[in-house]
Amino acid sequence: MNVYQPFRVRVEEKIAETADTQTLKLRFLDEDVAKSFDFKAGQFGEYSVFGAGECTFCIASSPTRKGYIECSFKTVGKVTNAMRDVEVGDVMGFRGPYGNAFPMEKMHGGNVVFIAGGIGLAPVRCVIWNVLDERDKYKDVTIVYGARTVADLVYKRELEDWGKRPDVKLWTTVDPGGETPDWKGSVGFVPAIVEKAAPKADNSWAVVCGPPVMIKYTIPVLKKMGFTEDRILTTLENRMKCGIGKCGRCNIGPVYVCKDGPVFTAQEMAKLPNEF
Amino acid sequence: MSTTTFIRTGDLKGLVADLRAAGVGVAGPARTSDGAVDYRSITAFDDVVLDAQPRNSLKQFFLPPTEPLFKYQRKGSDVAILEISATFPPRVIVGARPCDAAAVDVLDHVMNWDYKDEPWFGRREATTIVTFACPGGDRSCFCTAVGLGPDATRGSDLLLVPAGDGYYVEVVTEKGKRLVDAYPKRFGAGAGVDATLSYREKARASVEGHVPARPDVIRQWVQEHFEDPFWADISLRCHGCGGCAAACPTCHCFDIVDEPETLTEGTRRRNWDTCQTSVFTAHASGHNPRADQCGRCRQRVNHKFAIYPARFNDILCTGCGRCARTCPAGQDVTEILNRIVAMATGQGGAA
Ligand SMILES: Cc1cc2nc3c(=O)[nH]c(=O)nc-3n(C[C@H](O)[C@H](O)[C@H](O)COP(=O)(O)OP(=O)(O)OC[C@H]3O[C@@H](n4cnc5c(N)ncnc54)[C@H](O)[C@@H]3O)c2cc1C
Ligand code: SF4
Ligand code: SF4
Ligand code: FES
Repeated sequence: MNVYQPFRVRVEEKIAETADTQTLKLRFLDEDVAKSFDFKAGQFGEYSVFGAGECTFCIASSPTRKGYIECSFKTVGKVTNAMRDVEVGDVMGFRGPYGNAFPMEKMHGGNVVFIAGGIGLAPVRCVIWNVLDERDKYKDVTIVYGARTVADLVYKRELEDWGKRPDVKLWTTVDPGGETPDWKGSVGFVPAIVEKAAPKADNSWAVVCGPPVMIKYTIPVLKKMGFTEDRILTTLENRMKCGIGKCGRCNIGPVYVCKDGPVFTAQEMAKLPNEF
Repeated sequence: MSTTTFIRTGDLKGLVADLRAAGVGVAGPARTSDGAVDYRSITAFDDVVLDAQPRNSLKQFFLPPTEPLFKYQRKGSDVAILEISATFPPRVIVGARPCDAAAVDVLDHVMNWDYKDEPWFGRREATTIVTFACPGGDRSCFCTAVGLGPDATRGSDLLLVPAGDGYYVEVVTEKGKRLVDAYPKRFGAGAGVDATLSYREKARASVEGHVPARPDVIRQWVQEHFEDPFWADISLRCHGCGGCAAACPTCHCFDIVDEPETLTEGTRRRNWDTCQTSVFTAHASGHNPRADQCGRCRQRVNHKFAIYPARFNDILCTGCGRCARTCPAGQDVTEILNRIVAMATGQGGAA
């Protein structure tokens, strides 16, 4: 067995999140793998549909939930189209977990602010559940999530749950014009809503994932509030093939996103050459 | 390991015949039907051509252009994965060039950090590399600028240098010693190292000075000049065909794809790829972090002379000159490196 050979996983659940985004719940076929498989929040894997190929997604479920993994993906190309067509019960492939992770231990005892846009909620959701499943280890939890329109919000059922929890401050928002008549959340771009939510920066961490433009305008807002760059965390999504530092595809200058990332602090990002 | 021995030309022919009779695959630089010289399977030592640099490198013997990783078979909703063996039949390469043998050793780093690439090391273990000291190169060669040389032993199991009526043999590795020990009658007393010196000196003189031997200066300049008009300047002539990467003994980028053979079964393969094409880094959204050829040309130089040195304390280039010889557009790595050294040392360099 070589390092490129995946584990076999069975599709246990398939959830349509939006018109073009699905979530798959995948359970390891091999009992031993199911028992021993472990990962950290922020890590990713290579998912495959045999015959179509492999592609890269973060593990969107929390490491606190064992025996299965989930991924949420947007249909954009060859493999993701094949993944859209899989049915519950089908066998797929998964290899991983790869890459570094969010510094959960360092975040213990601190406040956590989650900021996500669109499908960027997938990697953040993994950390959110990790934090909520070990709620007593963290202080205030704030979630700011935005999408272009109401129809583009992913994990709607969980947003509802989080909204009801007294120990979570949830802000949902859609871009101006993306609201529906019965929309109860905010209207506006994510950085503006972060300013409104005004989480305190003292003893706090920010986890930010979403389209590059959202990240670009959110980081200055956080810095203005007093967040330091070493406590603003994000994930990068350079195109990958091997996921294990060999195929040469994911470099940003000297950095291998698959090995040194995908999680980076804003401080580390500021040092990267402009190649992402 | 540094013992030496000697092999007569007649015994070298006999050794290749012995190996073949023992079922060992033998490869070496030999003429193709169109008259070029490539590393390929040979049937006799007489096939070996030593006075021309092969068009290809040794890369394909360890990282084939296309390589099966496993097979899959679908049965209804289920899928069976059929493993591909990582043990390979023994092979001896006779007539490797020092730059090509070194390249294999250079690539061992990336094939084994955290994750071990089993197919690579399976072939590495099954292969013995018998290198012949290079007779000398052309103006594209610059092995001495990257810490190697026409008689460098790096990556070789045996190094042969012409002397008298045969070859002076440096036994470089345990594997090389095993080959010598397996055929004791083929090796024996003969001309000593002194008889090889003029050959070595002549070869060295033919490649020296093409690029300044200043890898640290090159590395530092590249690290400090990610944004520099130099990259746009050199990229203007590049078509992005990737020929340079295919010919290069150290370029190792690959793609992973599924090739269905029937409706229900097929093979997952890895295929050579190149960072010189626009699709290499293109995201599904249309965003491309390396949007133009400027960034791609920079990546090739950066990876070889700065990124790999930073990661593995080694240079991802053996100075073989193939990229310069291959390029249809005249992109010349020796010119690129000379200009970098000139800029770094304040001696001008803008074209
Ligand atoms: C660490 C990481 C985590 C990620 N997490 C997620 C996640 O959680 N959810 C998610 O939805 N996405 C995620 N992504 C992105 C995801 O990997 C891609 O969307 C996915 O790989 C697309 O695969 P595909 O086979 O469907 O697309 P492909 O068919 O490979 O096509 C993708 C794009 O590549 C280009 N392309 C490919 N081949 C060619 C060609 N021959 N000619 C021209 N252009 C070509 C095109 O721009 C095309 O649109 C992540 C990426 C990384 C690196
Ligand atoms: S970069 Fe050019 S000179 Fe260097 S090893 Fe590759 S082909 Fe040879
Ligand atoms: S440098 Fe030459 S060989 Fe390499 S991609 Fe450009 S045109 Fe092709
Ligand atoms: S994805 Fe292959 S090197 Fe990073």
